[in-house]
Amino acid sequence: MVMIRAIVRPEKAMDVMTALLYAGFPAITKTDVFGRGKQRGIKIGEIVYDELPKELLILVVPDKDKQLVVETIMKAARTGAKGAFGDGKIFVTPVEEAYTISSGVKDTD
Amino acid sequence: MKEIWAVIRIDKVNQTKRALAAAGFPSLTARKCAGRGKGNVEYLIRPSDGAEEYEEASHPAEKGPRLMPKRMMMVVVPDALKDKAVDAIIHANQTGSPGDGKIFVMPALDAIRIRTGETGDAAIDEHEEPRGTAL
Repeated sequence: MVMIRAIVRPEKAMDVMTALLYAGFPAITKTDVFGRGKQRGIKIGEIVYDELPKELLILVVPDKDKQLVVETIMKAARTGAKGAFGDGKIFVTPVEEAYTISSGVKDTD
Repeated sequence: MKEIWAVIRIDKVNQTKRALAAAGFPSLTARKCAGRGKGNVEYLIRPSDGAEEYEEASHPAEKGPRLMPKRMMMVVVPDALKDKAVDAIIHANQTGSPGDGKIFVMPALDAIRIRTGETGDAAIDEHEEPRGTAL
């Protein structure tokens, strides 16, 4: 199992979640985060904004679905044809075990 | 060392904190989040007069997934105590109906206590003398 964490633009979060839902990944957790990228935030006039609001989407999927989920998120979260600075990042980390609390059962993939 | 993430119901937060403290894991990080699981969420308003009928709540954005507010709890525990922590969370949160939440166990490479610079299991050792007031 892998955990996929995607940091996306707030206005794109619902698009990404809808795309994931139709791709067969309904289970998702969303939380608000703030951050900056390697462009060090954005500068408008004299003011530098380096705590830009983003949404963090978290989902845990079987190893074999990793590529599909990453591609789905990437397609839905991109702005414009080539994408733009600030579209976000996707991180993939291993998950060793997952439990469903209502049944207490350890999930196998 | 293992990192445990539990996504749980908001009204179970205090019970979970107490259960984890009783099992020997007083330290945790919690944050607000919203989420959904595999099933469709039905938003029904519970009638205040105790009647049986439920009416469906309106939702601002009809398209797109509906999310329920949840709490995420993050605990880092030594390898040997992983099962104890998972059991404590399951026991405190289990109602048997969908929406109870999920627990994810992930490997954590290292932990550092900023105050002393200790690393590894020493940094997450909970058995030092408590400094604040107890629960």
